[in-house]
Amino acid sequence: MVETLQHAGRRVFSPFEDAFDAAFGPRLNPFYHLGALSFFFFWVVLASGVYLYIFFETSIDGAYRSVENLTHVQWYAGGIARSLHRYASDAMVIVVLLHLLREFTLDRYRGVRWYAWITGVILLWLLYASGIGGYWLVWDRLAQYIAVVTSEWLDWLPLFGESIARNFLNSTTVNDRFFSLLSFIHVSVPLFLLLGSWIHILRISRARTNPPRPLVIGALLALVLLAALRPALSQGPANLDTVVSTVSLDWFYLAAYPLIDIWSRGAVWAVLAGGTLLLLLLPWLPRRREQPAAVVDLSNCNGCGRCFADCPYSAVVLRPRSDGLPFETEAVVDASLCTACGICVGACPTATPFRRLAELIPGIDMPRLTVRALRNSTAAAAAPLTGTDRVIVFGCHGGPDLARLNATGVAAVALPCVAALPPSFIDFVISRRHADGVLLAGCKAGDCYQRLGIEWTEQRLQGRRDPYLRARVPRERVATCWAGPRDATGLAREVAAFRARLRELGPYRRDGETPPPSPNPEVGDVAYRVG
Amino acid sequence: MSLIAWDEKFSVGVASVDHEHRELIGLVNDAHDRLMRPGAKAAVPDFLGEIYARISAHFALEEKLMRVEHYDRYDEHKADHERLLDDIRDIMDDYEDDRNFDENRFAQRLRTWFTEHFRTHDARLHGHLG
Repeated sequence: MVETLQHAGRRVFSPFEDAFDAAFGPRLNPFYHLGALSFFFFWVVLASGVYLYIFFETSIDGAYRSVENLTHVQWYAGGIARSLHRYASDAMVIVVLLHLLREFTLDRYRGVRWYAWITGVILLWLLYASGIGGYWLVWDRLAQYIAVVTSEWLDWLPLFGESIARNFLNSTTVNDRFFSLLSFIHVSVPLFLLLGSWIHILRISRARTNPPRPLVIGALLALVLLAALRPALSQGPANLDTVVSTVSLDWFYLAAYPLIDIWSRGAVWAVLAGGTLLLLLLPWLPRRREQPAAVVDLSNCNGCGRCFADCPYSAVVLRPRSDGLPFETEAVVDASLCTACGICVGACPTATPFRRLAELIPGIDMPRLTVRALRNSTAAAAAPLTGTDRVIVFGCHGGPDLARLNATGVAAVALPCVAALPPSFIDFVISRRHADGVLLAGCKAGDCYQRLGIEWTEQRLQGRRDPYLRARVPRERVATCWAGPRDATGLAREVAAFRARLRELGPYRRDGETPPPSPNPEVGDVAYRVG
Repeated sequence: MSLIAWDEKFSVGVASVDHEHRELIGLVNDAHDRLMRPGAKAAVPDFLGEIYARISAHFALEEKLMRVEHYDRYDEHKADHERLLDDIRDIMDDYEDDRNFDENRFAQRLRTWFTEHFRTHDARLHGHLG
């Protein structure tokens, strides 16, 4: 059931993502930065809100007037700020809802990721409370409508004893203090939203809260343009002695309001509370069984911390040494956070296929696909290859379908994530002549299923992140293809082009024998004591 | 006879680093002993692979300590580590490819490699960390 919905969702998302890939390039595709974009829009709302607050009068008579002044008299600043405040809030709803749907369709909401999902669902309520609260402050006819409907809706709950609608919302009782209260709420709820957003990303490491700069500039320009072309306007002053009959709604925030009119208040409560409850329970309907978590082997771990530095989920931590060896720390895996992506293994300096003296057990390993098994499957996959254009493709689960690559001369090895491949495997394959070239095939650039796999892989290949791919490995024999899951043809094309390049290169040869280092007389003279 | 013997002047004053240096010297000596016995061709690459893994891990730990201590010549030392790892991989491949293989020269290369690392690089780090 869940899988059917996810597949259907992916079919809806895919054409849009592909279109944006074509337009923006995968690294700047906004679909791959939805969470970061919601942070960005929050900052825009905050900044414009601070400006508006300077001029806003928190009184029953002053509220509408001051907003009108902002909009019309200082249209060039206050008016733009008001429109930015409004449109960035709308944009936030859009990206947040897309973020929620997308994570659902990608199955990134259950298993160890339940925490981000649950906190995210709670954030939705804070987001809506922030936005709707803002509409009250304008104190126009829309505000009046929202005020009345919201109060009536809240009155349905037997919480307040007395009716808010009756006590506050008539022309004789609504007062300035009420406006102070409203603006206090409109400042404090968004602060809770911010706090909640921080809690939301607490359990992942290096959360991306800033979208790429071109995306920021583009989004800001679009907002300013929209603000200039379609400034946000008030809909006439509120008058509590009349009943608002027609207003135009901001559907991003107020879509439920017509329902409160049409259905009973209780029914809307039931739908919203039930919907929220369903969302909160979703990670366990049914829960996802993660692959077994990474395991640490202390006899191979010196606490160097590379796995800790690279884990995208903060699942690896360094703790004081427990086995008496004279190291300060050791890696410890929190299984409740581990998605079994294997990126830690790709970072471990002992996870090298050159080890043959003892059984190949690295400091950290994946029980489902150990480094030893990976070396064996690499060698086995390579064995039948012939020619001078033999390629081993290491592919991830989020990448193109490797089964379709079964051409002669190409062998495919599947990994949970490309960054689970220790770079010394590439050195191993080429220098031991298991193949003439290595191609890494993964998710769409910018949309790594395991968050940081592509970034870490590229940095390791470029010698910018440990462990480096050795400088001695000929780079023309290493290729990457970030084609994503739908582009098997793109991968096949890349592989064919890569093989053509390899044929031109001919078989791998080292650049002559490295001359032995000239014996250093100083070193030779060092006297060694036994001890 | 051991190829390299532990010398207190190799000590960098950090228990973990010294411990690994001792382990590495032990491993290199084992490799050397094996080299001098019959059937070395098959056995030595196993040692070399293990030495490479241990040294990689050892450098990783040293680099972490240097970063923690904000060692001023981190980049230089790190570049040396990378070069030394490339060198040892060259030594490994030379052995595997059996080009002009000469046991004594090979032993000398290994020894030079280690003592150079200890003497030139860790000595200064010693002063810094100790």
